[in-house]
Amino acid sequence: MSATQSAGERELAELIVTALNLEGVAPADIDPEAPLFKTGLGLDSIDALELALEISKRYGFQLRSDDENNVRIFSSLRSLAAHIEQNRVTA
Amino acid sequence: MTLRVAIEGVSFWASRLPGWETARAVMTGEQPPPEAASTRPSPTLLAPTERRRAPDTVAVALEVAARACEAAGRKPSDLPSVFASTHGDLAISDYMCSTLATTPALISPIKFHNSVHNAAAGYWSIGTGSLAPYTAISSYLYTFAEGLVEAATQVVCEQRPVLYVAFDIEAKGALATMASSRGLLGAALVLAPVSQARQHRSLMLTTESVGECHPTPARSAAAPLVADNALAPCLPFFEALASSQPRTLSLALGRQMALNVQVN
Repeated sequence: MSATQSAGERELAELIVTALNLEGVAPADIDPEAPLFKTGLGLDSIDALELALEISKRYGFQLRSDDENNVRIFSSLRSLAAHIEQNRVTA
Repeated sequence: MTLRVAIEGVSFWASRLPGWETARAVMTGEQPPPEAASTRPSPTLLAPTERRRAPDTVAVALEVAARACEAAGRKPSDLPSVFASTHGDLAISDYMCSTLATTPALISPIKFHNSVHNAAAGYWSIGTGSLAPYTAISSYLYTFAEGLVEAATQVVCEQRPVLYVAFDIEAKGALATMASSRGLLGAALVLAPVSQARQHRSLMLTTESVGECHPTPARSAAAPLVADNALAPCLPFFEALASSQPRTLSLALGRQMALNVQVN
């Protein structure tokens, strides 16, 4: 049984599915604590760059490719949503 | 210059002509075109990661490439390939230009990745696991004929079968006013050295310098269905292939260079 998504996590899950055109993945089914990359959703480095772009457009702040915390930030839906919540400049 | 090659496999895809069997029957007048347009083919040979990123160019090119290899009974990964497209991915080119003009820091990495002219050829080689050489070419109005010469030349020089894939998609945005193209159109051939042992239809290609090119016009019921696509100059060639009789036609290789094609 996967953990429950918060409202912010659900919004981000929808953005991920749409931006990356994930086939057969329902946003509500993404486990907020599961890995986004490799295992889990199976995303790769190009997806990370695309996601960073979509996040900066939606939430108004830049995710930098040279941020040493990227592995942690992008590790799961939960950690990415938390990072967005701390840094977002748009409501 | 004269090139002789055998045709091992043929494929064709447009939304109202989905597949060579349908296209051939419409071209010969055996059946009317289907009323309903088909949806974009899905490039099923790609892994999910590539498939979800595949733009229209890749979808239509990989569809006809795979069907031509099937028709020829050839393993896709064995064949060198030539991919020809007049405009490449005009939809992405328009997106790139408009984004660079307005918000240059916000270019989509996936669209950037897909914007190169050899994207379809690259996806094909990844999807089929092929290490054979591929060529991606464009020659504006003369793209189909130039690609055909390139593929036939490789067949004759290397004495091995070659996959030839041609495709163009719908133009979008401001670029559509400069380089118009409607709908999706793809066509592919597997060409091979002429063999006495195996009976295939064959092509004899001859170039000719002329005062002004007058390519053979398309005349079948298929013509209006693809006339607005940038690859429409390929249609008379496929009309000739659709006929079971030997035919000759002329394609333009340039303003003053004709490609005379004898389909046997």
